[in-house]
This record gives sequence, structure tokens and C-alpha cells, in this order.
Amino acid sequence: MRIVIAEDSTILREGLAQLLAVRGHDVLAAVEDVPALFKAVAEEPPDVAIVDIRLPPSHTDEGLRAAVRLRQQWPGTGVLIFSQYVETAFVAELLAGGSDGVGYLLKERVTKLDDFIDALHRVAAGGTALDPDVVTQLFGRTRHRDLLAELTPREREVLALMAQGRTNTAIAAAIRVTERAVEKHVTNIFTKFDLPPSDTDHRRVLAVIRYLQN
Amino acid sequence: MAAAGGARECWRVMRSELTAILQPQSRRELAYLLLVLPIDLICAALLLLGTFFGSVLSITPLGPWLLAGVLRAAAGLGAKRRRLATRLLGERVTAPVRSPAEPGAFGWRRAVLSDPAGWRALAYPLVKVVVAPLSVLLGAGFYAYGFAMMSFYPLQERDFQAWVPVTWFFGLAVFLSAPWTVRLVLLGERALIHGLLGPSRSGQRMTDLQESRDRAVKDADITMRRIERDLHDGAQARLIGVGMHLAMVRELITADASPDTVVKAVDTAQDTLSTAVAELRDLVRGIHPPVLDNGLDAALATVAAGSPVPVTVEVSLPRRPPPALESIAYFTVCELLTNAGRHSGADEVTIRVDLRRDVLRLRVHDNGRGGAFLRAGGGLAGLSERIRVVDGRLSVNSPAGGPTVVNVEIPCPASVERA
Repeated sequence: MRIVIAEDSTILREGLAQLLAVRGHDVLAAVEDVPALFKAVAEEPPDVAIVDIRLPPSHTDEGLRAAVRLRQQWPGTGVLIFSQYVETAFVAELLAGGSDGVGYLLKERVTKLDDFIDALHRVAAGGTALDPDVVTQLFGRTRHRDLLAELTPREREVLALMAQGRTNTAIAAAIRVTERAVEKHVTNIFTKFDLPPSDTDHRRVLAVIRYLQN
Repeated sequence: MAAAGGARECWRVMRSELTAILQPQSRRELAYLLLVLPIDLICAALLLLGTFFGSVLSITPLGPWLLAGVLRAAAGLGAKRRRLATRLLGERVTAPVRSPAEPGAFGWRRAVLSDPAGWRALAYPLVKVVVAPLSVLLGAGFYAYGFAMMSFYPLQERDFQAWVPVTWFFGLAVFLSAPWTVRLVLLGERALIHGLLGPSRSGQRMTDLQESRDRAVKDADITMRRIERDLHDGAQARLIGVGMHLAMVRELITADASPDTVVKAVDTAQDTLSTAVAELRDLVRGIHPPVLDNGLDAALATVAAGSPVPVTVEVSLPRRPPPALESIAYFTVCELLTNAGRHSGADEVTIRVDLRRDVLRLRVHDNGRGGAFLRAGGGLAGLSERIRVVDGRLSVNSPAGGPTVVNVEIPCPASVERA
């Protein structure tokens, strides 16, 4: 994969670049602010950009705004938001522009390099990758309790994995059931959420977004 | 030399006293005195009339409403008078605290009628009915009498007589002293404005408390933000960095890298971890230095030992102040010490801390170049504000050329300690 990194902490920026290089990925640029990020992407659009949510000057949500603009200007480049904390409002804002080719991961996920690179691949390929903590927080939100109460524990588990952007095959492997069983759970979730059959992938995203946008 | 200096000083004072009549301030004060006389008389007449009818009508439902209206009008006039006094006399008086109105028209009426500030504002013009004419008589009278004495004889008397210059000089003296008479008369006026149109003592205390509470809340918020930022950018980021280094080590081992490369990656991880631990330690010390648990003397001795400027610490505490005050005293001394080291160029600092008659006193003395002062928005002003939160005071004595002495007094009653 060709990757651009925008991260203002030197330690994390360099550490991440080294790790990705070790795995044979091509880090085109590692920059520390938004203007440099746009310059790098304009020069050579990467497959995916890893963007810290807190970037100069104000260190609040510059990275998030940059990610949304980046997605609009370069639809071919996936954006993975890289953050030290989970803020569901930010996740919702990120997904409001569409859930294709975006991701939100906590920075410490890098330590499980295989999973991290999996997530990068998903985002680069136009998929979604949400941090398990984001999903947990969404499930913990009280106003979704009613909707969730209708799901069985197994279906909730499947939805959690779905929200992370996993495919049915990956979900089946993760919870050790057959792919057919996962398909059945997913259909049940769609029925309970009142999502009429259309494009299946689209419904998967809708099921996740239903939590985010309420 | 000293005598010549004394004579010069004496002449300077005399000149400023004699030329007071030419100062714009004197003109403004005279203008104020003349301006407020008719206003006071008219206001008093109207308010008296209102109060009279309000009282007479108080057997009907209309009376209390009229009275409340009169009180509100008196308060409004009081506010106008405070503004006039600020403009012409430079007398700044804060507005009294008004009792909070309950909802509804009757709530408003009850609040207005029970507000002591309104009644005091009503008393002001009633007192002024007597005071204002006397003030004008005395203040403006000096101007008029002096002027008359100076101008009457030279204009009227044709033939020169010995007593003419005497009266003329006497008239001049009266005329030149007139601004001082006006100032004297205005002392009474200033006292009246403070007493009747300003906040009452408890009201002033309430305002002070409100301000210091706001400061405390703001201060706490700033501190929390700073700690969040320090943790996020410091220790937290470094620990994630350590995780990355370990992931790297794992990659290297899986790829059968040379032991040297692996050892280097482990070293990097260890360095990052040490920095993270050091940052956490500094942060913890900034929140609450653990050594403070052993008392202010132990904590200050530690600070003194770590200071680049030689510091002598004298602590005499018959009992331990409450932890909150110890903490404030500690951080105050730390900041003053940093200031002394950074700005004053001092090579000797003395810190004295004692607790006598329920007051905790801090004195930080340095032999630097001086010139420190409480500038709005400056470090010392911020420190002073934090000390005022606990009803304390900070004073700076720092003439140019030094030395600088900062005194801090914090009330520390014994009962607070038990609480």
C-alpha cells in the first residue's frame, strides 16, 4: 500500500512509518500538519492516509475536518483517523459523509500490527474500519438500549464485528461459527432494525450508522 | 545638600498648592459642585413627594406600587450620580448588589421594597437637600469671596491707602485656597456616595466572593486542560510509542534480524519509557508534590535544594496549616523562586515562612535588580489573584536596583485546620 501519515508527535510519526516500512508498505510522506498533508496527497495520491485527529494549530479536531475534505477531494484515497481517545460525535461526523473508505482507530491498535494493517487494507479498498472501543461505546449508549434489547447476545456480537468493518467470513472465523450462521444473524439484525432488502453491503453500513446518527 | 534638597522639595509642594486653581481637576470639581446642587434639589423634591404620597396611599393598594417606583427611580438616579462622580471626580464606586427579583410583578415589588440598597439610594438626595447648598456656599463661596476682595477695592477706591494691598493679598490667598476648600467639601460628598450609593459592606463581600469563586472555577478549568494536554501529548503518546517499538522488536525477531538490531530497538523502547515515567513524575509533582505530605518545611527544603539560585529557607510553624493552604503556599513560593531566578539575576534568595496570630506569612527576598510589579495579566498578578481566592494578600516591594521583597499573608484560623 502507498501511505501518507499526518501526525504531530515525532515519536509516533516516525515509529508508525518504520513499522509500515518493515511490512513492505510504501510511506510516501510523514507530515505534521494539515497543509503539508494536502500538499503530499496532491503530489501523489496514496491508497490511504493516516490522520491524527488533533493537529496544529488548535489541537482539537483539525485532523477530522481534514479527513472529511480529503475524502471529498480524493475519493480514491481512504482515510484512517488515528486518535488517542474515542469520541462518538467525531465518529458520526466522519461517517456522515459516507462510510466508504474511512476508519477510526485508537493509536494503541498499532501494537497489534496484523490487525492494524488489515484495517488499513479495508479502508484503502473503500471499506470501513471502526475501533472495537467505538463500537463498545455505541452499544453502551442508553438511548440505543431499546433497539439493542431486541437483539440476541449473539446478534449483538455479530453487529459489533460488523461495525468494525469485518466481512461475514471474518466474523464467522472470529466467533467460530459457519458463514451460513453469520448470514442468518445478519438477516435477523436487518429485520429487527427494519432495513428492507436492497444492496446487502449498503444495509450493513446502515445498520451501523443507525447507532451513530441517532 | 540635604537642606537644599529639603528647600527644593518645600518649594515644589508650595508651588503645586498655589497653582491648584489652574489644574483641570479643580475646574471639574467646582463644576461638579455647582452642577449637582439643582439636580439634588429637584430630585429630592420629586422623591419626597413620591414617598409622601406613597406613604399616604399605603392604606390603598396603590401606595406600595408608588413607593416601589420611587425606590427604583432613586436607585436609577444613584447610578447616574455614580457615573457623574466617576467622570468629574474620578471616584469609582461599584454598583450595589440588588436583591434578586422573584418572578411576577408582585415579586418585583417585594424585591424592590425589601432591598436596602434602594432605601439607601433614597436617603442620598434627602441628605443632600441639606448638604448640597452648604457645600456650594462653602466651596464656591471661597472662590466668589476671594475674587470679590481682589477686584472690589482696586476698582472702587480712587485714592491709595495702606490697607488696600493687604486686603488684596488676603483676597488672593482666599482665592488660591478655594480649590482646597472645594476638595475638603467633596471629601464629604465622596463619603456619601460610597456609603449610600455604593455596595454595603456585606454586598461588597458578596461581590468579592463571587469574583474569587469565578476565578477559582476558571483557574481549576485551566489547570485541568493543562493536565489533559500534558498527559495526551506526553506520557500517553510515549507509552503508545513504546508499544510501537515493541511491535517493531516483534517484527525484527520474526524476520530473524541480527541481535544488534533487536537490541537497538529494545533500547529505543526503554528510552521512550524512561522519558514517559519522568514526565509523569513531573506532572504528579505539579499537581501535588508528595513531599508536601511531610510538611511545608520539608517541601520547601526540597525546592531550595533543586534551585539554581542559592536559597536560605527559614520556616517557623507552631502548627501545620490545612493542606489546601500548604499547597497554595508551596506553589506561591515555587513561582516566586522561579521569577527570582529567571528575571532578577539574584544570587541569593531568602524564604521565610511563619504562622503567627492565625496568619500564615510568606516572605521571599532576593538581592536581584528589582523593578518587579503587579502588572495586569502578568505572573505576579495571577499569583495575587490565586491568593485572594483564600482571602490572602500579596504585596511587592521592588525598587529599581533591588532588592525585591514579596510578602504574602494568608488567614489561617485554627478552626479551619480542624474542619
